[in-house]
Amino acid sequence: MILQFIANGIITGSIYALTALGFGLIYNTTRIFHIAYGAVYTTSAYVFYTFYKILNLPLFVSVIAGIAGGVILGILIEMIVYYPLYKRKASSGIFIISSIGVYIFIVNLIAMVFGNEVKILSPGIEKTYEFWGIILTRIQLIEFGGFLIMFLFYIFLLKRTSFGKMVRAVASNPFILPSFGVNVRKLRIEIFAAGSFFASLSSCMVAWDIGMDPHVGMPVLLVSAVSVIVGGVGVFLSPALGGLLIGLTQSLVVWRISARWEQAVTFVILILFLLFRPQGLLGIRKRVEEVL
Amino acid sequence: MNYLLHILIMINIYAILVFSLNLLVGYGGLLSLAHAAFYGIGAYGTTLLMMGIGVNFFPALVAGILMSSFFALFIAYPSLRLKGDYFILASLGFQIIVFAVLYNWIGLTRGPYGIPGIPRPRLFSLEIDSLPEFFIFTGVIFLLVFFFIRILCRSPFGRALKAIREDEMTASALGKNIPSLKIWAFVISAGVAAISGALYAGYVTYIDPTSFTLDESIFILSILLVGGSGNIKGPLVGAVFMIILPEALRFLGLPDTIAPNVRQMIYGFLLVILMRYRPQGLAGEYRFE
Amino acid sequence: MSTDLNKILRLNNLTKYFGGLKAVDSVNIDFKKGKITGIVGPNGAGKTTLFNLISGFLIPDAGEIYFKNKRIDGLPPWERARAGIGRLFQDVRVFKKLSVQDNVLLGRLIHPGENPLNNFFAFKKVNRMEKELFEKARYWIEFVGLSGKEEAPAESLSFGQQKLLSIARMLMGEYELLLMDEPTAGVNPRMIKNLLNLIKQIAEQGRTIIFIEHNMNIVLEIADWVYFLDEGKVVSVGYPKDVLGDPKVRKAYLGI
Repeated sequence: MILQFIANGIITGSIYALTALGFGLIYNTTRIFHIAYGAVYTTSAYVFYTFYKILNLPLFVSVIAGIAGGVILGILIEMIVYYPLYKRKASSGIFIISSIGVYIFIVNLIAMVFGNEVKILSPGIEKTYEFWGIILTRIQLIEFGGFLIMFLFYIFLLKRTSFGKMVRAVASNPFILPSFGVNVRKLRIEIFAAGSFFASLSSCMVAWDIGMDPHVGMPVLLVSAVSVIVGGVGVFLSPALGGLLIGLTQSLVVWRISARWEQAVTFVILILFLLFRPQGLLGIRKRVEEVL
Repeated sequence: MNYLLHILIMINIYAILVFSLNLLVGYGGLLSLAHAAFYGIGAYGTTLLMMGIGVNFFPALVAGILMSSFFALFIAYPSLRLKGDYFILASLGFQIIVFAVLYNWIGLTRGPYGIPGIPRPRLFSLEIDSLPEFFIFTGVIFLLVFFFIRILCRSPFGRALKAIREDEMTASALGKNIPSLKIWAFVISAGVAAISGALYAGYVTYIDPTSFTLDESIFILSILLVGGSGNIKGPLVGAVFMIILPEALRFLGLPDTIAPNVRQMIYGFLLVILMRYRPQGLAGEYRFE
Repeated sequence: MSTDLNKILRLNNLTKYFGGLKAVDSVNIDFKKGKITGIVGPNGAGKTTLFNLISGFLIPDAGEIYFKNKRIDGLPPWERARAGIGRLFQDVRVFKKLSVQDNVLLGRLIHPGENPLNNFFAFKKVNRMEKELFEKARYWIEFVGLSGKEEAPAESLSFGQQKLLSIARMLMGEYELLLMDEPTAGVNPRMIKNLLNLIKQIAEQGRTIIFIEHNMNIVLEIADWVYFLDEGKVVSVGYPKDVLGDPKVRKAYLGI
């Protein structure tokens, strides 16, 4: 029995972890608290839906379209909204408010066009697999597999590509790159493309698993943010740890307490970390200097 | 006529919310997404006292304010140590937790079933139960709140807050007790938000948690930011705009089914445009620099 | 440990690193009460960093700071201000969007009106304090030559005027120890004369002034004692004439 809950927790945690990696990538490099990330997540699912259910295109094509849709939206948000603010050296408050504006706009546009009700993509019963007394559906295994593959790919990206090198450099010192002749504009677009990819892949898998509605983005965004804090800000791979732990914790809450308190427990954990260990599990404690 | 009165009553209730949030955001310089939580604590606190112990509206209102203020104090002290992004995240966390409690602690709040049959406010022998009476009642309360906040904003307290939002380091160098001032702003804004909650409960006579969600917090923040924060004019403009917009949309023939979505889209769009070109909003002062 | 109250500010082995760079290097200074002490040195010598350590904007990596024999290096800036340490900034730092008058009024250290409750339950006391402050503010605004500009937003003033505004603001605080970072830069000569006289008056009242200056004439004119800093270390100390004539100092400044 407990194994089933652990397994469920890991599966949910995989999705959280995947989404959190993208949010963390964007936050660690640009320091933008990208609330509109939730809108990218939502949009991806609805593009998937449009291609698959409305245009009746093959599944594979629709998934690709869904992911592409999310990535394109993410890039557009950076180019149209964030980059001009960045050039102006706007404060983080301005970024957050703009991000909220983008989120509200896109989510309500989707709600207006598609309606507020839940949309299902896969009508039938999913094939299940059983081992060691645990039952998991095919899509659940895909979610876990998807996370693992992306996680390994992300490690490769960070350690072996020039993109990864620059991303790591920016995270430790945001100010040096322009002086090295790096095209900051291009790098930022690449960062948002990569981050949005994580969200979109995650979103399409979940859309297939349980469907979607226009408001799925916010809880996902929130868990991503919490995962980044819990895992550790400034470390690129730690949101995965945070996401998995939260997935497991939520499963534990469902098992031992009640599903109703899932979200509350998640945020109590957040508050505890913010108060007592703001650097997260793997982050480095930075001396908070009052800098003139 | 009834419809107009209803609108005006809701304006009064929301104006109180926007003015109280302005104290925290526009003067204290603290972006918070927890305002609906305090709105809700006021609503539920007042309601539970009135219906659980039979307390009159006005003492229950005072208790609701104190409850809300106490919660604010409780989370303000640790939260204000957190820098910018983290404070917003903490406020968000608090909002979610409060909603979860309101929604899930069915024994206390009846959760999603809500609490119906809330008694109307009674002042001595006069029961405030008609629309015109309620309009005057909420109007009077709004004016009291308005002058209260106005006095604060023009006082040395308000001046010190403005200094902190302009340049916290320099304000500190001038001896301003930064933590204390911010906590006061937080506590007062939460206490006043509770007033709106009590008024809402007494007016609609039914409350449920769906009125006090994160979306609601975002909505109140949007009203404030579009009108503008950091002075007295901004929130007024914001409140007026908030009423005019849906009416204008209706006048233009927008179907009721998509009207709320369009309204939100306009707010979202305005937030992006304003932050880019006019962060102080239509009539505000604080530019979030 | 000496309890000599004459040493109003003591810096003990004060050290501050920025990355690998020692901005302030084991500085030991005892500042004497009632004296006007000048701090001079080339750019990047660590003078402003020293002030930031004393004000509380930077945390020392080593060493302690004692003000009136009490250790202050754990306190936030506002507690140090309330203890009696005032600060003037090289880059001025007026509240740009606030009016000239508001800027000066904010110079008052402790105001009952900053407690919101007092504005309702003790409004008479608050109003009296406000009246008193308005008078004082008017005096200082006139002193620095900004009369008539009370309502103007601080950002509408020239750099020199903003500098004077920040001086007026500082004077409202009636501090025991004033840290002035380049008080005369950007200020017109007539005003400088008034300022220097004022500084001398303040010292005569028994208050202490430490100032950073690049204009050697001014240092010679009003400083009782001078410290020369280079690369974070005290290179020379003594009477202004002696320090400025010291060959080590000439070498550091002029490279000869």
